[in-house]
Amino acid sequence: MMGRTIFIDPGRCIGCQACVSACRECDSHRGKSLIHLDYPQEGQSVAALPTVCMHCEDPVAPCAEVCPADAILVTADGVVQEADTTRCIGCANCVNACPFGVPKIDVTAKLQFKCNLCYDRTSYGLAPMCATVCPTGALFYGTVEELREERPGVQVVDEFTFGRSTVRTGVAMVVPAERARWPVPGGLPVVEVNGVDVR
Amino acid sequence: MSESNPHTPPVEPGPARRLDRLSVTGRATLAGAVAAVVLILAIVFGSRLLRDFDSALLPYAAASVFLVFGLVHRYTVWVSAPAARRLFKQGWRSFFSAENFRRAPTAVPRMIATYLGFQKFLGARSHGRWAAHQLIFWGCLLAAVITFPLTWGWFTFTSPTGPGPQYEWRMWGVKLLTFDSLSFFGWLLFHGLDIAAVLVIAGASYFLWRRMRDRGAMTGQRFAYDLLPLIALVVISVTGLLLTFSAIFLHGQGYEFLMVLHMISVVFTLIYLPFGKFFHIAQRPAAVGMQLFKYTARQDEKVFACRRCGVTVDTDAYVENLRGTMRDLRLDFDEWAEYCPRCKRVLRGSAYLENVKKGYK
Amino acid sequence: MNRPTIPLDPTQAPPGAQSFRDAGGIPADRWHADQRGETLVPTHCCFCGVQCGMYLRVNEAGKVFGMEPRNHDINRMRLCPKGVNAYQQINHPERLTAPLIRGSRDEPFREVSWDEALDFTAAEMRRIQESHGRDAFGMLGGASLFTEKTYLVGKFARVALRTRHLDYNGRLCMVSAAAANKAVFGVDRAGNPFSDMLVTDCLLVAGGNIGECFPVLTQYVWGGRDRGAKLIIVDPRETAIARTADIHVALRPGTDSAFFNAVLHVVIEEGLVDEEFVAAHATGWDDVVRCVREYPPSRAAEICGIPESQVYEVARMFAGAGNAMACHARGIEHQTQGVENCLSVVNLIVATGNVGRPGAGYGTLTGQGNGQGGREHGQKSDMLPGGRDLKNPEHRRQICEIWGIDEAELPGVGTSMMEMVWQMQRGEIRGLLGVCNNPLVSLPNHRAVKDGYNRLEFHVQLDFFLSETAANAHVVLPVTVWAEDEGVTANAEARVVKHNKAQDPPPGVRTDTWVLCELARRLGAGDKFAFGGSRDVFEELRVATAGALVDYSGITYERLEETGGICWPCPSTDHPGTPRLFEDLRTYHPDGKMHLQTVEWHPPADVYTADYPLTLTTGRTVAHFLSGTQTRRLGGLVEQTPRPWVEIHPSQGFRNGDPVRVVTRRGSVVLPALVTEAIRPDTVFVPYHWPAPTAANVLTVDALDPRSRIPEYKVAAARLELAEHVDEVPAPPVPPGRAHYEEVQAALSDPLPPSASQGRGTAERS
Repeated sequence: MMGRTIFIDPGRCIGCQACVSACRECDSHRGKSLIHLDYPQEGQSVAALPTVCMHCEDPVAPCAEVCPADAILVTADGVVQEADTTRCIGCANCVNACPFGVPKIDVTAKLQFKCNLCYDRTSYGLAPMCATVCPTGALFYGTVEELREERPGVQVVDEFTFGRSTVRTGVAMVVPAERARWPVPGGLPVVEVNGVDVR
Repeated sequence: MSESNPHTPPVEPGPARRLDRLSVTGRATLAGAVAAVVLILAIVFGSRLLRDFDSALLPYAAASVFLVFGLVHRYTVWVSAPAARRLFKQGWRSFFSAENFRRAPTAVPRMIATYLGFQKFLGARSHGRWAAHQLIFWGCLLAAVITFPLTWGWFTFTSPTGPGPQYEWRMWGVKLLTFDSLSFFGWLLFHGLDIAAVLVIAGASYFLWRRMRDRGAMTGQRFAYDLLPLIALVVISVTGLLLTFSAIFLHGQGYEFLMVLHMISVVFTLIYLPFGKFFHIAQRPAAVGMQLFKYTARQDEKVFACRRCGVTVDTDAYVENLRGTMRDLRLDFDEWAEYCPRCKRVLRGSAYLENVKKGYK
Repeated sequence: MNRPTIPLDPTQAPPGAQSFRDAGGIPADRWHADQRGETLVPTHCCFCGVQCGMYLRVNEAGKVFGMEPRNHDINRMRLCPKGVNAYQQINHPERLTAPLIRGSRDEPFREVSWDEALDFTAAEMRRIQESHGRDAFGMLGGASLFTEKTYLVGKFARVALRTRHLDYNGRLCMVSAAAANKAVFGVDRAGNPFSDMLVTDCLLVAGGNIGECFPVLTQYVWGGRDRGAKLIIVDPRETAIARTADIHVALRPGTDSAFFNAVLHVVIEEGLVDEEFVAAHATGWDDVVRCVREYPPSRAAEICGIPESQVYEVARMFAGAGNAMACHARGIEHQTQGVENCLSVVNLIVATGNVGRPGAGYGTLTGQGNGQGGREHGQKSDMLPGGRDLKNPEHRRQICEIWGIDEAELPGVGTSMMEMVWQMQRGEIRGLLGVCNNPLVSLPNHRAVKDGYNRLEFHVQLDFFLSETAANAHVVLPVTVWAEDEGVTANAEARVVKHNKAQDPPPGVRTDTWVLCELARRLGAGDKFAFGGSRDVFEELRVATAGALVDYSGITYERLEETGGICWPCPSTDHPGTPRLFEDLRTYHPDGKMHLQTVEWHPPADVYTADYPLTLTTGRTVAHFLSGTQTRRLGGLVEQTPRPWVEIHPSQGFRNGDPVRVVTRRGSVVLPALVTEAIRPDTVFVPYHWPAPTAANVLTVDALDPRSRIPEYKVAAARLELAEHVDEVPAPPVPPGRAHYEEVQAALSDPLPPSASQGRGTAERS
């Protein structure tokens, strides 16, 4: 399952956004930054979460499934590509169906953009821009063995729960050893207090 | 695609689904066959029972029959998939709504003009690509309007005065007009294909040049999908132009060979059309339906706000439609569509901080 | 039906999913990925003291158009957002491309030829010096210059201008650490390389926001933690590295030495001192013991506003570790007791015997790219090349011999940067040559600084953008950016690295070296300034430092390119350099010992009263660098952090986004509130990269450390008031006749604070 891919560890992330700037420098989508960087504890801490495309494997790419124009191609190496420019109609189905909130859309150009794992780099064995420059290793590109060589004993999980369903992804997340047997919570169901969604 | 809970085995497509899938193929084949038969009948009757049919153009006509079969077949399969089917239906529903028409009678024609005709959205992608695509688009449209009726024997150009210069242009045997082939209009009519070829060569060359240089375009580029269509267009146009060149300047030298080459490239392109990049020609008009669907809902000011942060996600009807699509596909997290992408990420991030790890280890 | 017309186009999409203005301010379709015939030029980043390696991508036309990560020893391909965007300065449309001149500050600038500008400048220098004495003309250098140029700045002031009034902006940066290290170890340099963090058992960082100010250094910190190291952070804010640290001591700004004295108190009390080491290698220990006896944890808890238990925890964790390292940065150095604070940290290191071993020692986190190299070769008021002392007769003689001047001609020790401003106010300094600095943003108490600069009869500034200071000058000379010339810098490890030239400067732009040599020629010292370029200067620098403390004589450009960097001292061309100091446990004092100093805590200079009850502290954010004259022009960085804000604890009763007036005795600024629990309740924070009226330095106090003369940026007494609306951020100045690069500055009109101190989340950009 997990070959050479990105491993995300929000615990290491310092929220510096080097990935956001570097994403823009990749020749396959030069000028457009497609990675997301959010501060999920605004007002409480400076914790940050980078989000690249998770390259869902099972179900295979919900974004591609909900695409009415068959515009999103999944290559044999498991990489979910960005929308084909000739087919994409800019309907935003993928934007709102993606359980991880990844695709972006240019509404005037009627074109979706999303992280393609810097396909021009990864298809030649280079790491994607974000994981290359990440000063902290919060984004790491390689095999799980290479990851463990750098961080002895690290555990990763590539399954996420959204309510009753589970999504297995190509990109994995670092978890503590005692959490390695369970999928990572995807944020759904949302905890509600007095009818207000909190977390 | 399956609901892969570690405790339940993946769901195999049940007999009902398999039947459904079979019937899609069956329906598509049937629809394709009907369309092909209709075209054959149209050729036969349109050419006045083949009296106006030019047997030298038979391969072209046969390819066009294949083309229609392939296009209709693929189109049927395409609109049978959940996502496309739902939007397709919603598009037509908005299109045929009398109320919509009353409220915004010009919406559809304007959308067709800006979206399908002038393709404004391509300009937002890049001005160069917009210009090149416009050249190819109008060139191909011009060529198709001229050649298809000719190959089907629907048009005839006859000269009552023998070798000209007066010509009669007839369609289905009915005289449309008489013109002087030496006039400017006559020149345009006879050289319409040459003009089309020049437009297409210019546009396709730009795209080919770009596909050799632009690293964004080259990423994941496939020969059969991305380059072959452009090469086909260039070959058709160049051989077509050379036919004119041969006729005018070389007294027909090499004409036979060029004609065969031209024919092979055209026939190949027509047969390839439903399967590759060119299928977007058939697919794209349906996007107007999607746009109309969203436009209609927005006129009612029915916008859907993110359940958590309140920013606009899209229209009510659109979110409902998407949730239906997700349910059709057994993506059981359709409730998630009610949150904006940022909230999805933030909720996932805070769930990780709370339930997986807060700090470094 | 009377509803607004709904455009056919475009359709809706959630915010954050649809914006592509974050394309670095350049419209996305103007970014080209058509890069045939590109070459990669290996060089280093121009920004902070980590000096990450990077490649600049140069196209067929010879222009830099992008960057590519470089697997250099220092950074292993990592870069921070500033590094990624650094290349966009090079062919930036706001670059200065012709000398600018004007008779008075009321007139607009006009473009003139180089000859006219240089002749006028030299004439003004001569006029002021002839009528008011040589010392009436001052010079201020900068620590973002290549080392060759910093050497040249020092030589120019002493040999061509022959003024005693020379200083540089490292005065606002490293001088406290330098003074402390010089006092204890006899040398001003980090003791250990970055890589020692990977093998340490405990890392203590005092007043250093590594995650934002030295982002790429984080990989060393995390690397150490992956191998089991403990992390202790001393910082009033819960920064990105403090968030997950083993111990985060959120003390009140300005109380660091009380805390470290108390830690040492516990270390002594609990018998954790390395007695043998101290007895053999340190002097002054008994005085230190007596001094820290007065700092029991209870007293520190009261002064610092922390739980008493944290003092014990830190003492046990640090002293109990096998190998421990301590790093400090501006947080503890930017104080009127900056030197004392550093000394109290050094005392702790020496007492626990953590010197000179892999993973045991100390690091000084230099803020500027060449913060280390820039202070070594004589642009500081009291120093000569090679780390020599301007007061030392022997050192003076050596340098005069090398420069070929009479010792009587060599001026004496001058004053510090802030003191020079006061002298400008008093009319003692009437003319100024500024190179590579922006004091109208970077110096404290902006009103005094502006007044001082406005009183100058003649002010010439060298820069590549029209900085706020240059925009206030009489003559502005356009010079190269770092990628248009070659030279060396020394990073925070004292590792000398080579920057390479990636492209020719635009027409009309000259190197700083050329400008200083031309001016020297016009001042009649041309024979001492016959340099063709950086390489010639470096060769003289090697000679000038041979045998000195900071010995560069074994370093050549060729060796630097072969090795990727050499740490000084490097006395001969077969010497490998010295990455770790004191491996033989001998210091650079004649007796080879570590001279410990006692430290008494005293309250900060700005007095707290009922009117000014809170502490204002200032600092950096990750997307910007120093005075921001470089980074406030780069689209990606402006978008990440368009404007300054004030960070306030929720207990102060403001809501996020409220316009809040921060008032100190010097002035007030209205900024949007970023309400967060990640700061002490009695402390507010304002980042300092923006100019007045939104400058943090409108608020800060110009009180100086008596030893290092560093201003107390980190502590000022303040109060908060709710205001009507936030002060508008001015766009950076541009040359006459040139329009603003609007796409980049579009984000400025945004009145909201960032999502967190690192900037806006990608979905929260307007």
